Amino acid sequence: MLRTTLAGLRAHKLRLLLTSLAITLGVGFIAGTFVLTDTVKAGLSQQATAEADKVGLAVLPEDHEGALPERLLDQVRGLSGVLEAQGLIRGSAPLLGKDGKVVGNAPTTAVSIVTGRLGRTTILSGTGPGSDDQAAVLDKNTTKAQGLKLGDTITVLDSRHREQRFRLVGVMDTGLDQTLAYTGAVGFTPATAQRMTGAKGFAEIDIAGDGAGLKQAVAAAAGAGAVVKTGAELAKGLAAEAGIQMESLTTGLLLFGLVAMLVAALVIYNTFNILVAQRAREMALLRCIGATRGQVFGSIVLESTAVGLLSSALGLLAGYGLGAATLAVLGALDAPLPTNAAIALTPVMVLSGLGLGLLVTVGAALLPARAATRVAPIAALGMQVEEQTFRTGVVRVVLAALFLIAGLGAAGYGALGMEPGQMVPLFVVMGGGALTFLGVLILGPVLVKPLSALIGWIPARLFGVPGRLAVDNSGRNPRRAATTTVALTIGVTLMTLISVVTASTRETMTTKLDNQFPIDYLVAPQERDAAVPRPVADALRRSPELASVVQIRAAKAKISGSGDSVRVGTFNGPFKPEVRSGSLDRLEPGQVAVAVPAANQFGLRVGGTVAVRTPKGGTVTLRVVAVLSGDASLPMFTVAEQPFEEYFGRLPDTRLMVNIKDGVPPAQARKVVDAATAAYPMVQVTSATEVRGQFDDTLDMLLMIITGLLGLAILISLLGIANTLSLSVHERTRESALLRALGLTRSQLRRMLSVEALVLGLIGAVVGVVLGGVFGWAAMRAMIDGAWFVVPVGQITLFVVLSGLAGVLAAVLPARRAARASIVGSLATG
Amino acid sequence: MTLTDTRRQAPEAVVARALTKVYGQGDAQVHALRGVDVAFATGAFTAIMGPSGSGKSTLMHCLAGLDTATSGTVHIGDVELTGLNDKQLTLLRRERIGFIFQAFNLLPTLTAEQNIRLPLEIAARQPDRLLFDRVIETVGLRDRLAHKPTELSGGQQQRVAVARALISKPQVIFADEPTGNLDSRSGAEVLSFLRTSVRELGQTIVMVTHDPVAAAYADRVVFLRDGELVSEISAPSPQSVLDTLMKLEA
Repeated sequence: MLRTTLAGLRAHKLRLLLTSLAITLGVGFIAGTFVLTDTVKAGLSQQATAEADKVGLAVLPEDHEGALPERLLDQVRGLSGVLEAQGLIRGSAPLLGKDGKVVGNAPTTAVSIVTGRLGRTTILSGTGPGSDDQAAVLDKNTTKAQGLKLGDTITVLDSRHREQRFRLVGVMDTGLDQTLAYTGAVGFTPATAQRMTGAKGFAEIDIAGDGAGLKQAVAAAAGAGAVVKTGAELAKGLAAEAGIQMESLTTGLLLFGLVAMLVAALVIYNTFNILVAQRAREMALLRCIGATRGQVFGSIVLESTAVGLLSSALGLLAGYGLGAATLAVLGALDAPLPTNAAIALTPVMVLSGLGLGLLVTVGAALLPARAATRVAPIAALGMQVEEQTFRTGVVRVVLAALFLIAGLGAAGYGALGMEPGQMVPLFVVMGGGALTFLGVLILGPVLVKPLSALIGWIPARLFGVPGRLAVDNSGRNPRRAATTTVALTIGVTLMTLISVVTASTRETMTTKLDNQFPIDYLVAPQERDAAVPRPVADALRRSPELASVVQIRAAKAKISGSGDSVRVGTFNGPFKPEVRSGSLDRLEPGQVAVAVPAANQFGLRVGGTVAVRTPKGGTVTLRVVAVLSGDASLPMFTVAEQPFEEYFGRLPDTRLMVNIKDGVPPAQARKVVDAATAAYPMVQVTSATEVRGQFDDTLDMLLMIITGLLGLAILISLLGIANTLSLSVHERTRESALLRALGLTRSQLRRMLSVEALVLGLIGAVVGVVLGGVFGWAAMRAMIDGAWFVVPVGQITLFVVLSGLAGVLAAVLPARRAARASIVGSLATG
Repeated sequence: MTLTDTRRQAPEAVVARALTKVYGQGDAQVHALRGVDVAFATGAFTAIMGPSGSGKSTLMHCLAGLDTATSGTVHIGDVELTGLNDKQLTLLRRERIGFIFQAFNLLPTLTAEQNIRLPLEIAARQPDRLLFDRVIETVGLRDRLAHKPTELSGGQQQRVAVARALISKPQVIFADEPTGNLDSRSGAEVLSFLRTSVRELGQTIVMVTHDPVAAAYADRVVFLRDGELVSEISAPSPQSVLDTLMKLEA
């Protein structure tokens, strides 16, 4: 039996190649993910070790934000066995750009650059500041982004926001430090770093030295509130912190890999089903000459095992190549990841790749194998292989109905019946989506015929006889057609879902911004704790180019009794926040408007009261008159301006929202706003169009990446279409020959098969678009309160058109083969 | 040795001259046809007979433009097949030739009526309503037109195939063992339809068969052996055909 199976495999190698390719791609993607992330992780830990191995011991504050007292350094230096000890200083010191404003979304972080044996900072070019208190180094990204070069003078704000000038002497590497990579880093001598940041104490004390009991001695000196780590422990911690992002990246990529494997499973299932149907006579002959059902079953399973092993092995190789190529590209693009570690195939990756590929292949072949055992020995004597007939069974319809009702019900409940904006309704919608998809999968064979008639209506009229025959053929074997198209449906559903969600999010956000935040410029400090001095608003109010200026102020207060901290604020100017309940028309003293999150947290409703302890006004009891939707502009509690000053004193503004007067060119208005803020480097001006542009760019990037990753699933499903079609062509050899004898030209025969693939592709795409649209809507309803629903018609039309074209592309080879076949030879087969 | 057709009262529908067909190369070479000269008169029903491997199917395939001959010429009416490319051959089949095969004659997805009309639709020709009715009447399929092939008996399927071949009024119909898969009663039915269509519609039919009873329905029988035309008889009876065959085998 083994020999028969192997002979069969050899005979059908080409046929199984396409099948293998589906698994190879899936396994390749998963293996590639592992190669990529393993290598980057290895690189991170190498880098961490290199950084930390200069350090014998490191003392860190237990609280991440905390600091070590300065006297600890002297204590440590006095311990026997300590060769050297250095305190590291770290704090914010905003760098000013060429426009005289602080750069970036967060203040630059200043660090002390230690020289000598404990110097851990890598200087990429130039030199370190050494002992020159007028010298500074910057990280590579900031240097590049600000267009600076060595020898330039840079301006940095000190802890009292005074401008200080330094000479740029070098470019430093931020290493594994994610915070430094995000904020940008400026390095000074330890003394300057202390002066600039005003830091009291050290972020870390590094110690060189050895000797038994040194760690215990240091720990004793440091006392509670500090942790003592060896160099190796420090390296491990650094690598783990830097690797957190890699973990979520791995999970994300593996999810896409699993979608691809699901599609591959459908393709395999279909291929084996068709192969078994075509080889019914072969199976029957084996049964005639004495093979048991078990042996027939075993031979199919064995065949799938061979296919699974081979394709998974190829997949591992492909994954290795894919991972290596991605690393090379990332390296060439100067990505902030270590890409130079040795690429290794880990046993975990090899085993999981092989195991998954094998499991999916054999699992998908089990049902077809069982079907093979049902072939009666007498079938060997029959003249012709019966076509699979399909009748809609009651069980199928009932089962599908149950899944559809449960799925759509759950999605509807998640979208309409639950409080939006939380994770639970989104999960309910996603679960509903999975159930509905299963329902559609079960109902697929029933749907194929009407769908092919509907979708084939135009091709049947457009392409004459070949078109009509093609549409008939596409619905001819509903079970096969359904599985083939469902594979494509998966990819198209997810793509449509993502594009609906991104388009709707974009529209919702834009509308929300326009409605509640109808501003042209936001004037706000870079740091949350800083403020916009009052003269800025006064100056802006006097400018004739501006239509309105809204001032927003906020301060921290405590809820009386509970001790919970809450931000209380006020605003002044024409501003209309979105009111959920109650009214904000007149906010009197003693009244408060509460944002939804705070209302939920403290159990407040319109008409209720809340007592707040304020620094100047003592404890005041406020009556809730409105609940606000809550956006980023207002704090949790909003009171009128006058009582706010009574409670908190005359505070500066936390932000200003500025509108241009109609007819004033934006460039001119911008100049006015910039001039008003010029004296305050900490105050940044952001235009709404800039914010929207950044938001759009982020969404576009996300859409592009996800679409690209889903492309793999689509590619595999196209292999499925090509496979099904070439097997169907093989089955219909005589039929094609008959048509050719009756006068169908070669190109007409090719067109017939192309149209069949076109119809199959379109069915898969249309079902996917409908599902993706419906669940995109449900997901939006579940995620965002008052979400808009936008169908990106252009994009979705593109998906459908591309699916159809891809189907036609998948038909190219099978159609060529069919058209080339000799009529006489084909008529004789079978 | 060649035999020439002496009764040439009607123009010839199909003429083959010095037709040879060689399969394979070197030692594996098989001469399927060794210089066949034969002509088939318009409006006649001719049977081609011969033992297995005599080349009768190959001859039919070459005459019908399904296969290309190694050398020699074939004319269908005034068109010479030799030298036509695939597209031209396809159009020629579409316009001038009808086919009836032993098995698998119909497309399973189409109804009987759609199968019958298929050649006209492929050629984008308007069906002749009168002819259609007459053909349907002749083959007796009026109440079976809406059925799919799987719902028809073997005899009915073959009658649909006959109707399909007749509907486009081809210059010649080639039938390859049309009764090979049928029981004797259905076979006799199909053969009488073929003969009726020759008598009443003036159709030209060339039929390959190995059944003397089937051959006896023809006006003339030509015999092949080892790729050569060896004998022919006119107005055959089953007995005369059988006798000739016995002589050839001997």
